[in-house]
Amino acid sequence: MEEKRLQALQALIEEIWPRLKRKHLYPEIPIPKIGKVHDPLDEGIEKNDPAFRGVGLEMKDKQMTINPAFLSTLNGKMTEENLIEALLDHGITHYTFCPWDFQTHLTLYAEAKKVMGDKESAKQAANYFIDVIADTHCVKRRATEIPELHRNLKKGAIEEVIASLYQRIWGIDLGISPSKKGNDEVVRRLSRIPYLDRSRWPESIRKFARSLKPLLILEQKEKEARGGKGESNPQGKHDLNHYSYEEIDQGLRDYAQKTMGLSEFKDVVEDFSAELKEMGYGIEGGMGRGRGAPIDADVLFYMKLAENYSIPLKKIPLEEAGTLHPHSHSPWEVGSPFQDIDIWTSFGKIMPGITQIWKKKEGKGRGKIEGAPDCLIIIDSSGSMINPRKNLSYAVLGAACVTNAYLRNDSKVAVYNFSDAPMGGRDVLDFTANREEVYRVLCKYFGGGTALDLEDIMPMIKGKKEMDLFIITDMKITNLETLIGFFGKIQNRITAVHIGENPYASRFEKAVEKRKNINIFKVKKKEDIPHIVLGSIREYFNPMSRRR
Amino acid sequence: MKNACSKKNAPNPLQQKVYNILNPFEEFKTFQFHKMEIPLDQIVQSTEVVMDQIRLGYERLLEEEAKELVWMVQYNTIIKAYEVAEKYIKEIDYSAEDIEDFCFALESPHKIPYLIPGPAGIYISALCNYAKEEEIVLKLSELKTEINLIGFRLPKGKRLMVEGDTGDFTGIGLEGGELEVEGNAKNWTGAGMRSGKILVKKNIGLHTGEWMMGGEIYVGGRVRGLGNIVEGKVYERDKLVYPGKVRYPNPYY
Repeated sequence: MEEKRLQALQALIEEIWPRLKRKHLYPEIPIPKIGKVHDPLDEGIEKNDPAFRGVGLEMKDKQMTINPAFLSTLNGKMTEENLIEALLDHGITHYTFCPWDFQTHLTLYAEAKKVMGDKESAKQAANYFIDVIADTHCVKRRATEIPELHRNLKKGAIEEVIASLYQRIWGIDLGISPSKKGNDEVVRRLSRIPYLDRSRWPESIRKFARSLKPLLILEQKEKEARGGKGESNPQGKHDLNHYSYEEIDQGLRDYAQKTMGLSEFKDVVEDFSAELKEMGYGIEGGMGRGRGAPIDADVLFYMKLAENYSIPLKKIPLEEAGTLHPHSHSPWEVGSPFQDIDIWTSFGKIMPGITQIWKKKEGKGRGKIEGAPDCLIIIDSSGSMINPRKNLSYAVLGAACVTNAYLRNDSKVAVYNFSDAPMGGRDVLDFTANREEVYRVLCKYFGGGTALDLEDIMPMIKGKKEMDLFIITDMKITNLETLIGFFGKIQNRITAVHIGENPYASRFEKAVEKRKNINIFKVKKKEDIPHIVLGSIREYFNPMSRRR
Repeated sequence: MKNACSKKNAPNPLQQKVYNILNPFEEFKTFQFHKMEIPLDQIVQSTEVVMDQIRLGYERLLEEEAKELVWMVQYNTIIKAYEVAEKYIKEIDYSAEDIEDFCFALESPHKIPYLIPGPAGIYISALCNYAKEEEIVLKLSELKTEINLIGFRLPKGKRLMVEGDTGDFTGIGLEGGELEVEGNAKNWTGAGMRSGKILVKKNIGLHTGEWMMGGEIYVGGRVRGLGNIVEGKVYERDKLVYPGKVRYPNPYY
């Protein structure tokens, strides 16, 4: 019997889906399903409990699922067709209008938290706000049954206020009687918000949360009194399940780029850490999956921010390499070289998650071909540098971009992070392709004096003729002359980046100006980072100069 | 000739093929875009118009009273600025929510380029005094700037509640109204007030009630220092501190 009903409902969805898709201008969403969803009823809440409203719609990774049990609760009040249409209108609008993407979701949450102060109430405020926008958008722009759904839904204190708000801003009677004096004031305040103006959403959600704050705090207390149970949204929860893994990755990248603030990013990531871990989001954001690794928000910030910059890397002829041939496929990442993309297996699309690149393997023949060598990154973390775990450090961001450039070209990276090295203020990481390990060492901050110990560096470059060196510092190094002398002796390509201007940087520039294998760049602001070109251009175009 | 004509009318196989190709946008020919006018559009639009008028009034006040973007707090300048503010405000039809929106707009440089705390406070006070509502609630907890001179000349029958902290000269020249601050208030609170009530939930600064001619000030936290009070009452945590043993200033701070 039950099986037959499910089949009939699925058939109904299949019947109305083409009309819904057309109405919403053909969103790229799979056909919704009828099936079991996570419901508070499963947590022991009784149906007659006032807290129980049931969950009508669940959205996971763009797949919408309608709860048949919820449809039964509104039996006789709405036709099943209208009810399903209203729920799907709401769900689709989350993809097509608000929140649209994960970055917007994070931004709205972060703004709500500024007002609410605590994580749970901020999430609630953001959820209500997103729902109001989605429903209002539908009512204004699409012929929808959403008002009818709200007329028939069971309502708690906040839902009552929201329904009054709908009555006021939609001009549709939802059967809500004139409310209490306090609520009327809240509704008046809420109705002045320009919900459909996307550019004003950050400001609007602050106003929304400010007006709803007393009610949200009350609801939070009631929820705590019930032991955290019973919270349900008939139109579906707004958690990270909405988004695919790649969307979260992209969202974090955009959010880091937009805020450019370490503390803001860290706050948000820490608040969502449980959900991110549940999604299998470890520290290696775009590179792998799997539980276990704790999320280091600082490292993640630099990782995501660095993914927004692409630094060109000049390849050099590698003697030991033979000819390469395409061997196997691997996923393409944003910033990876385009020339290796296999258009046939990528379906002609350039999109992370879909696009594939050829992984090339060395053949048996020998000859000189171009490739990227390994790189040793020397990073200054003395007291004169910014602590990367407190503020945005351009030195770490620059080094992170360099790491990405080499790792994307299948090279390895070693790190020498120093402050007062002879006194033990240093951290050394041997050549590795593990991005996470590299970032962890880059983010380490000593904050002491500044001195290099060449004895630490020598073993790392010994025997590595074709190795690049990348140094990023403010040049306020006590043994700068030793460093200059060292650079004078080696033939490796050196990219030196100094943060800001000072007499030490000028001294360094003057001392190495005749060395063709050393390129010097200055970073004053984040926009300077993409101007760094790794490897010597002069040498690349004029190999004769090297022999001389 | 007949043959030639019939040849001409014969369908070109190439053209026939083109005709048979399905136009991917065919479906949109019958698509009717649903766009409904909802009251929200009207509410938002009228709110914007009122906000523009309030903003214009403030800009004119600055043009007249703070020409070089410098404004000194003196008895005469306060009275003059208030008169100018009154002149512009009387022409605007606004609500209590518009006042709160204006307070937040002051912090967005793209909306209001100059925030000069003195004239801004005078202007907000005038807005409160001329508002239609008898009770005004300003939720300003997230405001980064503490507004000075708020509650200036609050008349009898009006109740102004401020959520958050206020700046210097809060509730000066109060004229019988009730001012409640759900946070801290700074120096010179209630200076020159004639009658009415000021309630400060947390702490209050120096020179509290300077030249106060009447009325009551209730402080839930500590009073940092009292001013030269002529008449009136000051309570600190329900305890009458004036008239009584006066502290200039409180040695605990």
